[in-house]
Amino acid sequence: MDFQDILLQQIINGLSLGAMYSLLALGFTMVYGIIELINFAHFNVFMVGSFFGLWVLEATGLIGQRSTLEGLPLIGVLLLAFVCTMLLSGLLGIVIERAALRSVRQLRGTAPMILTIGISYILYNVILLTVGADTHNFANPIPVVKWQIGGAVLQLREVLLWSVSLVLMAGLHFFVRHTRIGKAMQATAQDQEAARMMGVEVDRVVILAFFIGSALAGAAGLIFGLYYNFTSYVIGYSAGLRAFTAAVLGGIGNIAGAMIGGLIIGLIESLGGQFIAVRWTDVIIFSILILVLVLRPTGLMGLSVPQKS
Amino acid sequence: MATPSSPALRTLRDVLFEPILRIPQAKRRRVLVTFLVIAAALFPIIDGNDGDIDAAANACSFAVLALGLNIVVGFAGLLDLGYAAFFAIGAYSYGILASYQVHPVWSDFWLPFQWLGLVARIAGDGGAADLVHFTFSFWLMLPLSALIAAFFGILFGAPTLRLKGDYLAIVTLGFGEIVPIVARNTPYLTNGSMGLNGVAPPVLFGYRFGVESMPYYYVGLAMIVLLIFISYRLKDSRIGRAWMAIREDEIAAGAMGVNRVKLKLLAFAIGAGFAGSTGVLYVAKLQTATPEMFMFPVSVMILVMIVLGGMGSVAGVVLGALILALLQSWFLQDLTQWVHALGRLIDVQWLQQIELIQSIELIFGIILVFMMLFRRQGLIPATGTTAPLSLEQQTALPSRGEIQAALSGLGAGADLPPGTPLLETRKLTKRFGGITAVKELDLVVMPHQIVALIGPNGSGKSTFFNVVTGLDEPNGGKILFMGEDITGRPSHAIVERGIARTFQNLRIFPNMTVLENVLVGMHARTRTNAIGAVLRSPATRREEAATREWAMEVLTIFGNRLLPRVNHYAHSLSYANRRRVEIARAVASRPKLLLLDEPTAGMNPAETLELAAQLRSLADMGLSILLIEHKLNVVNDLADKVIVLDHGEKIAEGTAEEVHQNDEVIRAYLGRKAAARV
Repeated sequence: MDFQDILLQQIINGLSLGAMYSLLALGFTMVYGIIELINFAHFNVFMVGSFFGLWVLEATGLIGQRSTLEGLPLIGVLLLAFVCTMLLSGLLGIVIERAALRSVRQLRGTAPMILTIGISYILYNVILLTVGADTHNFANPIPVVKWQIGGAVLQLREVLLWSVSLVLMAGLHFFVRHTRIGKAMQATAQDQEAARMMGVEVDRVVILAFFIGSALAGAAGLIFGLYYNFTSYVIGYSAGLRAFTAAVLGGIGNIAGAMIGGLIIGLIESLGGQFIAVRWTDVIIFSILILVLVLRPTGLMGLSVPQKS
Repeated sequence: MATPSSPALRTLRDVLFEPILRIPQAKRRRVLVTFLVIAAALFPIIDGNDGDIDAAANACSFAVLALGLNIVVGFAGLLDLGYAAFFAIGAYSYGILASYQVHPVWSDFWLPFQWLGLVARIAGDGGAADLVHFTFSFWLMLPLSALIAAFFGILFGAPTLRLKGDYLAIVTLGFGEIVPIVARNTPYLTNGSMGLNGVAPPVLFGYRFGVESMPYYYVGLAMIVLLIFISYRLKDSRIGRAWMAIREDEIAAGAMGVNRVKLKLLAFAIGAGFAGSTGVLYVAKLQTATPEMFMFPVSVMILVMIVLGGMGSVAGVVLGALILALLQSWFLQDLTQWVHALGRLIDVQWLQQIELIQSIELIFGIILVFMMLFRRQGLIPATGTTAPLSLEQQTALPSRGEIQAALSGLGAGADLPPGTPLLETRKLTKRFGGITAVKELDLVVMPHQIVALIGPNGSGKSTFFNVVTGLDEPNGGKILFMGEDITGRPSHAIVERGIARTFQNLRIFPNMTVLENVLVGMHARTRTNAIGAVLRSPATRREEAATREWAMEVLTIFGNRLLPRVNHYAHSLSYANRRRVEIARAVASRPKLLLLDEPTAGMNPAETLELAAQLRSLADMGLSILLIEHKLNVVNDLADKVIVLDHGEKIAEGTAEEVHQNDEVIRAYLGRKAAARV
């Protein structure tokens, strides 16, 4: 493979990772945009989501890499897996919001963030103690179909995952821009008090943000499993940190920014891994986070950071 | 349960506790502390069990870490999720400089270091060149590692501490992740994931600490005592109050003269330094260091310790650290045995196999959630209770008049060449997106003047205040104070020049007492730094005493409204009293110009008159005042000059009389039709 092919291959890989980070970053950015909280529980909602995905696939009788499907059954199973995983993860998000975060929403200072760390830790350890520390092979119904593009290889799996991500992001965009409740969401993000006075039910908006954000994290978790063919209790931490970096890079609170930031981080990860060294990937991404915060804290999309009053 | 009113039980309680309660509180405290110190010092001798002493020595390390993190999270309110990284930096610094890991070839460059005893020359194997062996002393590395860790703290804190606090959490989280990765990826320095080996144990007066835990226990204990001392000294000082102010309300802290970036960095660096020192102790005791020892769970554990004990509470944090450390090393193992026994007894298989120690992290998570939902102040809350007020103290004596005694030295130093304005703005402009909130505003306040700024809501009055006090950057124009250009200066620098302000929607520090609120106002006029606060030199004591005296003097402005309540939390005060606290806090900074944003809002007519008279007295003492006010009787009473704003532009200026006659003013307030009718 010559340089161009390697580059193309890594861009293909990077876009797949990027799609996953974008979906995960959306959850951070939506919750931050509305209640100005860095939700550390999101890290492990993603991880639990990948297990939801694994269990849903196993429930349909697909176990391991062998049982692949084609045509309509494949699309049906994928659709079912994504819908169920997203519903379950979304419900988890709702439970977290209702049971814990709602009661500290009005507090300033570090307490709400510390609470989300606690929740994150509970999720992490519940999975560790129930399913164990081993990595779990992911069921994968997508058959291995490859296309050569020069020296690079594009797989059916990647095309399908890109399509799913694209549909989800387009759907979110439409929802936020063009539906009544989506507009209410935007209004709440701008000024909670004013939105409340205009008749927006802020509680409902917040819960919806948690539902959507967590559902997208679940989708990202499923994508992680289908892409890497495994899942484990540890995956939330580094993926979460990357997705958060993506959200900051795109401008936290900015939905389009999170999508673009995710793609950039995915590309940086795959290209950096290729041209520098995989073991330094985390250091590179962290350096980007620091650089963005120093040089352009409002992110690439340039929205101003809302100040807590 | 016994109720306090049940006479028999009350007698019993009195008999039991009265002798104790009769001892003054300070003395009781001293007895308790002495007892605890002696018990801690004698513990290894009494207990004698090596395992127990080892557990206690580790517990000491974690208590020191928790005390350090408490300064960052508890005092300054900055969430640091990568605290273990600084622990690692300290540990590796000592580990590398006291082992055979790094051994450059010997050259004369090393001679001075050899003379100092920092390195030794070792013969190379089989005729190879001689090598350098680092032999830095443990006692030297305790402070040195603190400096190294503090340096890294500043390096990574500086870019993020300018931003809102939330970002620090995520940056420290990332930092906490990459430090072990760097350690793993640089085997030349750290021996990678295999870990450093053969770290030299400390030597004290020829006695070489071996593998026994007892000496480490005493070193750890000494560090705890030192840190508790430093924590208390810092907490009750100019520095500690500034940290609390930042934690309570960053913007107000800045507007009261606190240099936020500098103080946040200070807290961050001190916390990192403590972690660095602890790393030295920890690694010397284990004589090895691996990247796994410093991962995220360690940072979380330390956070759990301070959350459990009480953020900001020194005693609570030590208690939290001890509980969690001992929970892991003693209690959970015992409990596991009991559960196994119970399982055998009732013949349940899974109970016999449960290992509670594996669920320690789950327990950490549950503790965090439980404490944040139900007991945020922790086991031992950070501050004590306040004495209730007597009936006389509760009754306000409205002093319908001026302040009795003049405040010493207020308004001094405002002597300007005649004709020079105190404050002058030239074509000051501030835009928010498409809206121009302040438009090319020229405004002049002469010394010893009271100027009122009036105008309909949204006319740009508060924005003007924000721009003058450095909270908002102007888009154009100049601000001159006493002839000096202060445009775009940070808010704390502007307070230092002599402009203090209050806020329209009240920005007091709710969880600080009235006195503490006013003391923060003095921040710009006092000089004590962190070292001075810890050492409490005579100069520091004098300054602190003078500060308190001045604070009490300032509080007398409001008669008995605030004086009986000096030790009450600001959030417990009535709305009007909170406004008074905010004014007192501003006056405490010895301003030359006082900016008051609707000072009488929320006050009844009598209180309004009272405050107006008090403001008049302040002006008579030499203070210039620029106030935003909607109550026109106050304006008419006080103002030497009235300036009317509408849509960010000055539409009228003059005495109250003149302004009231002005057609444009009437139109702005009442609309065109009404103006025509007038």
